Amino acid sequence: MKLFKIGMPVFLIALSIVCFFASLNLPRANLGNANGPIYFPVGISIFLFIFSVIYLVQEIKSLHDINEKISELFSGRTPLLVIATLVLGAIYALIFESVGFLVSTIIFLGLLLFLVNGPKKWLVNISVTLVFSFLSWYAFSELLGVSLP
Amino acid sequence: MDAFLEGLMTSLQPINIMWIVIGGFLGTVVGMLPGLGPATAVAVLIPVTFGMDPVSALILMAAIYYGAMYGGSRSSILLNTPGDGSAIAATFDGYPMAQKGLAGQAMALSAVASFIGGIMATAGFIILAKPLSEFALKFGPAEYFLLMLLTLSAIISLSTGRMVKGFIAMFIGLFLATIGVDTQSGVYRFTFGIPHLSEGLEFLIVIIGIYAVGEVLYNFMNIDDDHKKEKKKVGKIWFTKEQWDRSKWPILRNGPLGFIIGVLPGAGGSIASMLSYTTEKQLSKHPEEFGKGAPEGLAAPESSNNAASVGALIPLLTMGIPGSGTTAVMLGALIMLGIRPGPLLFENQPEMVWTLVNSMFVGNIALLIINILLVGLLVKILDTPAKVLYPIIIMLAFIGTYTLGYSTVDFFLLLVFGYFGLVLKILDFPIAPLILAVIVGGDMEQNFRMALTSSQGSASIFYGSPVAVGLIVLTALSLCYPLIIKAFKRRKQQTE
Repeated sequence: MKLFKIGMPVFLIALSIVCFFASLNLPRANLGNANGPIYFPVGISIFLFIFSVIYLVQEIKSLHDINEKISELFSGRTPLLVIATLVLGAIYALIFESVGFLVSTIIFLGLLLFLVNGPKKWLVNISVTLVFSFLSWYAFSELLGVSLP
Repeated sequence: MDAFLEGLMTSLQPINIMWIVIGGFLGTVVGMLPGLGPATAVAVLIPVTFGMDPVSALILMAAIYYGAMYGGSRSSILLNTPGDGSAIAATFDGYPMAQKGLAGQAMALSAVASFIGGIMATAGFIILAKPLSEFALKFGPAEYFLLMLLTLSAIISLSTGRMVKGFIAMFIGLFLATIGVDTQSGVYRFTFGIPHLSEGLEFLIVIIGIYAVGEVLYNFMNIDDDHKKEKKKVGKIWFTKEQWDRSKWPILRNGPLGFIIGVLPGAGGSIASMLSYTTEKQLSKHPEEFGKGAPEGLAAPESSNNAASVGALIPLLTMGIPGSGTTAVMLGALIMLGIRPGPLLFENQPEMVWTLVNSMFVGNIALLIINILLVGLLVKILDTPAKVLYPIIIMLAFIGTYTLGYSTVDFFLLLVFGYFGLVLKILDFPIAPLILAVIVGGDMEQNFRMALTSSQGSASIFYGSPVAVGLIVLTALSLCYPLIIKAFKRRKQQTE
């Protein structure tokens, strides 16, 4: 928990430093003020750094305060659900164009429903998957004229 | 006047009435899902408007928006779980009414109060919008930059007790807005050689990622508590004369109050409804009944909340400045539709604005009917297990994202922002400053630089006009406001 609490401000400080140097290294403009494109990102990076340091100090002061939400994130099925959703989403992204909308959506939604709703409710999961996949394909592709793979 | 009548006729066309009803219903359904709320409803349903003509799309989008505001309180009354912050006050007396078997009466009262608040606010919109847009025409780049700064600072200052996190969220949002080709110089910034990023980060992906995917991931933490939902008896779906007598003046009082709060940048429905609740409790002859099912304790914040949602459209449409997270999402949707809100919208496309305004009248009537006649259906939808709903919402988020750029690269961005949204929520970061900054960041920078260019690098342009000075003073006041309140409370505690 402490690592998570401290981790965020430290990450933000590191991010602001990276952003600062990346902003300084941006190409200069050929038209108008050469430094025009860098002013804003440089300024933002500096302010982000300042507020991240204040945030770090605040977190250090309240290091022993319990954030129940952080505990909940690592308890029960939550970590599995979060990680599996992200992984399934990445797989969906990889197969979406090659396999096509309908098949990839049936696989993605079906697996997600089995994961979240549990295998015991297989009939509901399969019905919802098929109905919503076809319905969304029909609504977007046929009614709204969206070109789907 | 011609444009107003033309707008009225357009909004009464059968096809547009159909979109108002569909949008209102969809908005109500998604808005009432616990933990999701209006911003998510608008974000998830944006793709529904693709392929439509701009006027119908605008009408549909607005109907989704105020449908979601109506829907937010359904779950407050039935489940004691508000759809969003502005529906929290509806739990105070709405849920106790439902516990007494008066859920139907509470929902009817809430729908009527929202309707009256919405109608009063629409009338206010008609009176205020045009003069405000004419005033905004006088704004130059410096004033626009300062106005955006004021909006961001106002939103941050309302993040009670977490202003530092609000600032961080804003700066992250502003930085994200710098990604892509700089429109003034043609310089590529932070695109990492990915051509897809050259036009900038699609802010709707950030919005859908944080609001839809992030919210669902966050709600996974309580997913197994779903079985604890108790089923409420809806009972008679209309209120009694006594309930109406106790509620009518609070409804009429709090509509204008909510509207004014809604117009202020950063304020919005949450503050409007809470302020209305506390005000009515102080004015009531039965303050002891508040929190135990007092009808006026439900009606007042509902009227105020809905009026605020209409009021929030004024800065959005007249100046192009969204005053809240939900209106920021609305701005994103409008830009996607090719509609650029701002004073010129009233000059160049007055028929579109007045169609929207008239559609609000029609929409409020449609929503009143939906929310009363379809109470049974809405209750059934609310009974749908979250374990089934959340995967569907994730799927819709992916499809919506694909329709924005027809690229699966956006899927990965969606996942990144979904996870980022989860982390921000867990660490209690306010989301609205980030979303707002992503949306206005690009314009803010361009206005800042245009102002400096026109003044040949002199910063005096930022305090060279009375409007600019006024905006600076308001920004300073909004940032000092939490400190003043804190000092005031400390002094009060010391004297006690």
